[in-house]
Amino acid sequence: MLFLRITAVLFSLAALSSSLLADGQQGKRERPSFRFSGFSDVVFKASDESDPDASSEFQEGQFVLHVVSDISSRIDFFAELSLTARDSEFSTEVERSIIKFTYNDFLKASLGRFHTPVNWWNTAFHHGQWLQTTISRPAMTRFGGEFIPVHFVGGILEGSLPSGPAHLGYVFGVGNGRSENIARGGDAGDVNNNRAVLLKLFSRPSRPFRLEVGGSYYLDKISRDGFEDLDEALASLYLAWSGETPEVIGEWARIEREGETSGTSFDSSAWYLQVAYRLPFLESLFKPYTRYEKIDVADGEPVFTTQTDSEGYLIGLRADVASFVALKGEWRHQQTSGNPYDDVYFFQVSFAF
Amino acid sequence: MTMSTSFKSASPFESGRSARLAWILASYLLLSALVPAAHAGAVAVVVNPTVNVDDLSFAEFRRIMLADRQFWATGQPITLIVRAPVALERTVLLERVYRMSEARYREYWVAKVFRGEASDGPRLVLSSEEALDLVGVIDGAITVVDADDVPEGLKVLTIDGLLPSEAGYALPAPEDKRR
Repeated sequence: MLFLRITAVLFSLAALSSSLLADGQQGKRERPSFRFSGFSDVVFKASDESDPDASSEFQEGQFVLHVVSDISSRIDFFAELSLTARDSEFSTEVERSIIKFTYNDFLKASLGRFHTPVNWWNTAFHHGQWLQTTISRPAMTRFGGEFIPVHFVGGILEGSLPSGPAHLGYVFGVGNGRSENIARGGDAGDVNNNRAVLLKLFSRPSRPFRLEVGGSYYLDKISRDGFEDLDEALASLYLAWSGETPEVIGEWARIEREGETSGTSFDSSAWYLQVAYRLPFLESLFKPYTRYEKIDVADGEPVFTTQTDSEGYLIGLRADVASFVALKGEWRHQQTSGNPYDDVYFFQVSFAF
Repeated sequence: MTMSTSFKSASPFESGRSARLAWILASYLLLSALVPAAHAGAVAVVVNPTVNVDDLSFAEFRRIMLADRQFWATGQPITLIVRAPVALERTVLLERVYRMSEARYREYWVAKVFRGEASDGPRLVLSSEEALDLVGVIDGAITVVDADDVPEGLKVLTIDGLLPSEAGYALPAPEDKRR
């Protein structure tokens, strides 16, 4: 409750601040401005899976629209909409819908539906396939996956911290937490009367250039009909060096769930390490990459319905053939639930528009 | 007296001194033509006159240009104004500040806006004049222009305490574009 009150007070102060409504100035654009951009991709997939009907196919990637509206000099609206191909239709999803009040570098307050800032990938690339080096997301942060809570409905405070060359930043959030379907956030309301709380701290030091390291802690309560409530604590650490010569991204997360009455606990963990390098010749067209990843799910884990143990690596090559178009080829050698390894080959055209 | 003075100035001794002065002046002019001044082609960081800052460290300047820092210490929002591709100023920014190719620079801003970390990329301008016009009227604006194009009276910041005309300045022009 204390967190809620603090958040409510800060949001109110921000909303009432006359400086937030300072608007219009010579040389500035007309407001409200409204801009669209988007991402999409097409994939060809071939595998040695046992089902011959699924051995190779084309897949229409997500069609993603991004909306930015500059409402006033310090109020912005961001939205991300996705259309995802299903067997008989395209499903539509409001992935993000965020109104953001920017007071200064040290305090920005947002309300809406977010990608949960509990790790790096989830908030670095969102649904922009073209932005990420690889074709696939790491299994731990897969859309529709259950390991990390991908979406978060609530409020977030974020900003810089006075910290000299370490350039620290923080993100603090209060939201509905996981829904009864734990792959989803509580979009229409909270499944229980317990808000999820998260805190993320990170550093973007001056040197090495474009390095970011950080960690987060997320607390929630999971409630499902007919089952014992479980307290969930998720801790994560990450390192992302985006300079491309090399690019190194590594993340680790651990989820501890404990039954409220039984006290039984279940610990699951996941991690990955991805390395890429932008080759200097041929106008820096090519970027080879590789990633190893692993998920260990606790024995008897009562919440995950689709998340299982998994392990594997991938090797790929990205070619940026135009400013906003990338061709990627990727070989994945992966295993789930202790089954034999699959070898799957992907070719993708991804782009921004 | 006047006659005498005139006579003295025409003495062989005075003529020799004049010749030496003329030689020094000629040498200076010749060297000036042959050796580029320290600021030749360097880009100057120009801000709106209302910005209450005179000097930035290179690291802070980079954070501003990356939009990792979006406000001046007074709370004024920072507006970035950047020249269009192939301009000297943009080349210097890409090489020295962003350390990115043109393609990666565009990708950087698409990602920055997509993440919600900035509502827009830098304002694009086609000439130094346009950059200077805008920086003069937008509160909190910052731009970089060829140091030779900066007229008197505009507010030029020092970077790490140095002006474009000083040795060791952080934003010199690339070797092949120095005049």
